[in-house]
Amino acid sequence: MEDYAERIVDRAVDLGCQDAVADVSVNRSYQIRFAQNQIVISNQWRETSASVFLVYDKRVVASDIKDLTKLDAAMEGLVKVAKASQENPEYAGIAKGPFKYDRLSFDKRIVDLADGSDHVQAAVNGALEEGARECAGSFWKYDEEHYLRTSNGVKGYDHRASLYLSIRALVSLESSGHGIACATRLSKFDPAKAGHKAGKIAALAKNPVSGEAGRYDVVFDPLILGSLIDQIGGRADAWSVMAGLSPLAKRLGKRVASEAVTITDDGSAESIGRRRFDAEGVPVRRKAIVQKGILKTYLHNTSTAKKFKTRTTGNAGLIAPEPHVLFCKPGDWTRDEIFEECKDGLWLTNTWYTRYQSYVTGDFSTIPRDGIFRIKKGEVVGAWKDIRLTDNLIGLWRNVVGLSKNVDQVQWWGEVSVPTFAPYALARKVGITRSAE
Amino acid sequence: MADPDLVDFAVDYARQKGATYAEARYEHQVNEQFILKNSVLDALYFGEDTGIGVRVLANGGLGFAATNSMAKADVKVIVEDAVRLAKAARRKDPIIFAPEEAVVTNWSIPQAKALSDVPVEDKIEEITHIDRELVDLKFKMPARYFQQGNKQIEKYFANSEGSRIKSFSPRVRLFYFLTMAHNGNVEQTSQNYGWSGGWEAIREVDMLRRTVEEAKSMQNSLKHGKKSPEGKMDLVVGPQVSGIAAHESCGHPTEADRVLGREAAQAGKSFITPASIGQRVGSPVVTVCDDPTVEHAIAFYAYDDEGVKARRRYMYKEGIINEFLQNRETAAILGTRSNGAARATTYSVEAIVRMANTFVEPRDWGVDEMIEGVKFGVYMKSFMEWNIDDKRYNGKYVGREAYLIEDGKVTSPVRKTVIELTTPTFWGAVDAVGKDLEIHHAGFCGKSDPGQALDAALGGPTMRLRNVYLR
Repeated sequence: MEDYAERIVDRAVDLGCQDAVADVSVNRSYQIRFAQNQIVISNQWRETSASVFLVYDKRVVASDIKDLTKLDAAMEGLVKVAKASQENPEYAGIAKGPFKYDRLSFDKRIVDLADGSDHVQAAVNGALEEGARECAGSFWKYDEEHYLRTSNGVKGYDHRASLYLSIRALVSLESSGHGIACATRLSKFDPAKAGHKAGKIAALAKNPVSGEAGRYDVVFDPLILGSLIDQIGGRADAWSVMAGLSPLAKRLGKRVASEAVTITDDGSAESIGRRRFDAEGVPVRRKAIVQKGILKTYLHNTSTAKKFKTRTTGNAGLIAPEPHVLFCKPGDWTRDEIFEECKDGLWLTNTWYTRYQSYVTGDFSTIPRDGIFRIKKGEVVGAWKDIRLTDNLIGLWRNVVGLSKNVDQVQWWGEVSVPTFAPYALARKVGITRSAE
Repeated sequence: MADPDLVDFAVDYARQKGATYAEARYEHQVNEQFILKNSVLDALYFGEDTGIGVRVLANGGLGFAATNSMAKADVKVIVEDAVRLAKAARRKDPIIFAPEEAVVTNWSIPQAKALSDVPVEDKIEEITHIDRELVDLKFKMPARYFQQGNKQIEKYFANSEGSRIKSFSPRVRLFYFLTMAHNGNVEQTSQNYGWSGGWEAIREVDMLRRTVEEAKSMQNSLKHGKKSPEGKMDLVVGPQVSGIAAHESCGHPTEADRVLGREAAQAGKSFITPASIGQRVGSPVVTVCDDPTVEHAIAFYAYDDEGVKARRRYMYKEGIINEFLQNRETAAILGTRSNGAARATTYSVEAIVRMANTFVEPRDWGVDEMIEGVKFGVYMKSFMEWNIDDKRYNGKYVGREAYLIEDGKVTSPVRKTVIELTTPTFWGAVDAVGKDLEIHHAGFCGKSDPGQALDAALGGPTMRLRNVYLR
């Protein structure tokens, strides 16, 4: 595979390109999907392909080459396309290597895992023991190797292997809960715990009544807080800022959250998103996006960094910068203290369909799903349904008053796009709306 | 095109290995994307995605495996994977597929001007030209982002029942995202247009006119827009709004896999159950259908990814829940036949139940007629923010381009009109449906795990709703 990466870069240079990057990946991932407490389909992928980035006279072309037996023809085609394209005056090159990378190990027991059905069963059983009737979800074994080469002297290899399970447990259509399990060591993978969590929330959410609009103090479970962290980390890349797709634009150095909030990106830390380098080969590292509520940096590749007169943060993607793994720094509250401080409010456990009316102002709404609970004097007094969180992203984060000591690693379909470490959080005066009569 | 013998081999080999049913789908997708941000061509993406996916039934379980290698030895390995995985499912009740006739055919979408014949320079010029026209308007637009995409999809499908289907689908898209500012206020829009066919799309969909008109409407809204009135009033919605409502609150809840809980952990379930067929969900003038056979709509197809012939499906008929979108697996569970709704984004994922081109069936009203019949209300032509809960019961659409209607006339623009209604309240309030079917609004519909963002047309006719709460 190294040879393929070398050949792509060498061929690009031979054809006149100034910069070239090739990331040849081998994907052997495996998945089980389940529904109604049974396996509905199992999937296996066996793919070897190359992500390619090349620049010819500031003309930028990105590609995925799937047929590596026809590399030379593919490269000639890409350079031909590049020559017909237009200059990008903002393009400022790729990082200069070589770099030294942290030594990372993967769990061979994960790579060797051929059957995940016991893990699915453990999760389902956990939920059923709590009173759930119907469980659905996905189990994933991720197994990917990456061979990176660039025309600027970068050589990198990374083998990433992890396990992931997402389970939704239902007592009825409107009484459900969600649980997540993530691990990079088989011994740390606990799908039963995820099933128990989903089942407990579902059982507690029995017989929900329609909620009422208003402003409430809200306890955010780690899964839904993960979605709100994703809205910060996922909109902190410089490309989104320039495209008008981020409420963080023009806010560097300004308050975007309460002092309790520190959000970092760190692809080098232990997580299911851990990696050695970004798409340019820059070693990944920890950086605070928001520190004590102040926006400290956008996420950059070499080109966007130059435009913003700073240095790359090691977040290059194929075209635009992207977060790797997000961390919300834990607070000093216990989970119980978070709930006790919620005198008259809600506990939200999950959400989906987050959409903006204006990315500039941050006005958005998102729809809580799974358990929605009414809290009075710190206790659950009933379950709600049919509400929507309608607020402003910056305003909501400024109203966070407490974070728990413990964090969960979460990632979820569509909403939490990268692995995220999220605590419980308490926010004041969160806007809630509902359908009109 | 791959060697059809290799695809046929995969099917035969799966049967040899113990599959009771097998299918193999080869795809070759040529995909180009031109990304223009603030007048700079940021990047050009060009990719060729080729591979083969094999799905089998064995011992009552379903297994799927995919590779991008066209070597026979590698195809053998994925067939063995698929059969092994299917057998490992150990289901209590076996998965079966509803019966279908074998089909041998070859279909393609005509191109007046083939995408492969259009030089890269011309494609780039199309979006840079639109961008220049916008800049020439001299409005304050701090961010402009365009993405022009072209896809050419070749497929060869074979199954163990004798179906052999070749197809070719070219598709053209234009996406734009604009930010406009005026006196400290900001308005944003995001639009996506699509066409199945060749480069004639640019002319047929008239992308330049639409973009310039939208920019002018944004400027008008920023300069003259009032706060939208709150309370119960009449509402006229344009094709884009009727289209998103049809997609979100009719198409999704009538997907049979969602009804049956197969997507419960991701895209969710549905407020509709199998027992809901025949129940009223809207007024008698509301018929919502999904039709893959609408010529040149972005999600056109003649046969689905299980080899079933496509046809128009009537999910809501005269206000009554009438029909689900089905693939062969859901149809067998519900004791019916597939109506050809199985689709996959690429060779590397299973085909599941999907919408194609979903719209309210037009009737005979003119737009002016509908507006003339409103004493006081809002005419919402387009939206920005929208969402709906996972059971598809509580929907929200916030206006981008909207106007006040006073005494039967469109008057001043209004900003951020909020429709937040239940599905039956929304569809039950419709009293008039226009004849102005507009089908080229195109979205990406998200579903499944791994996520499959699939082409879907989201257009429709103008509609009038009576006495609904807006704010």
